[in-house]
Amino acid sequence: MMNETEKTQKPQWAMAIDLDRCTGCEACVVACRIENNIAVVGPEESARDRSMNWIRIERYMEGEFPDVRVRFRPVLCQHCQEAPCEPVCPVYATYHTEEGLNAQVYNRCVGTRYCANNCPYSVRFFNFFDPQWPAPLEKSLNPEVSIRTRGVMEKCTFCIQRIRKGEEKARDEDRAVRDGDVIPACVGSCPTKAMYFGNIADSNSEVARLARSNRAERLMEDLGTEPRVIYLRKRDQA
Amino acid sequence: MRKLTAVISILFAATLTSGFMLFEAFSTSDGPRQPVEFDHWQHVSKEEGPQLECSTCHQYASASPNATIPSVSTCMVCHESINADSPEVKKLAAFAEREAEPPWVRVYWSEPSANVFFNHKPHIRAEIDCVACHGQVSQARRVKREVNHSMGWCIDCHSRKNASIDCYACHR
Repeated sequence: MMNETEKTQKPQWAMAIDLDRCTGCEACVVACRIENNIAVVGPEESARDRSMNWIRIERYMEGEFPDVRVRFRPVLCQHCQEAPCEPVCPVYATYHTEEGLNAQVYNRCVGTRYCANNCPYSVRFFNFFDPQWPAPLEKSLNPEVSIRTRGVMEKCTFCIQRIRKGEEKARDEDRAVRDGDVIPACVGSCPTKAMYFGNIADSNSEVARLARSNRAERLMEDLGTEPRVIYLRKRDQA
Repeated sequence: MRKLTAVISILFAATLTSGFMLFEAFSTSDGPRQPVEFDHWQHVSKEEGPQLECSTCHQYASASPNATIPSVSTCMVCHESINADSPEVKKLAAFAEREAEPPWVRVYWSEPSANVFFNHKPHIRAEIDCVACHGQVSQARRVKREVNHSMGWCIDCHSRKNASIDCYACHR
């Protein structure tokens, strides 16, 4: 039986990504697209930077050929606690939830795109077109996730549909959420288990433990955005 | 004489069509016409009826997002023998024989464009009476939309009951 404070205290969701383990395979990118009904814009519009990827793999080449090393970094919405995207929205379509998520309300969004312009991580995506899925992708649409329409902004939700399911399960068992209750699509698909997700307010959780690691860093920390995504530096850089 | 017959037949046709239209208008205000005229009152409230609970038929309301409509096989558990001669039960039996489900017309739903992901389960857990959202279905012979599920209406109850009014509670 969990006590009352545990019940009322909202979990604080966070992610940790071990860069030592990431091989840049992009399984997370594919899993995210399928899980979250991300529309396909085609190669031409993609070249105009109109494609939408809630998570992407950034590549960094180091050294001169033939002694080249590639470093990978999965970049998704950092769910900043001081999110630059939030105060610039004129219609409150983006706001901060009690669980520390940066949320986007599609039905409020009027498409000013201020938020995307103010995001230092470029992880907000605008729907330039009516959503389309070339066959047979339309058969894989997830009924638990909204279909966004033309003219609205969209972004990573930390798989809110899976968070709700995990919280529901914990409530059924009358306990606080714990590691393994919520596994976002990207985390679940990672073949090298480079990604971790959990409640950072719970000091015993895996993310909280990794956040205390001496390899822990946050992306563009100096901006003061206080991201909820923690990267673990490669060991040779530590 | 021929003229008179023509006038009478025209009048007759006009009366028929207007009567039919009136009937249709009244029947739609009474909720959508269902493939089988299922009567909730008879099953739930009628003194000499079976006096079923909502959850007897809508059995997944407490366990899942959807309350669910029972399959005809559930209906046939009783109706194999009870009232088997009534025309509506015969319709039901015909569906059961074909192993088909009647194409029930939905009464309560939210538009997909509303991006609402409603879940019955937490509402049942919070002991919200079915009547609060569905009206007096137990008294209805044909179910109609009695309660307007607007967002303000949802939020009003959520704030009274101290439930989450976070957008992400219902929208995703």
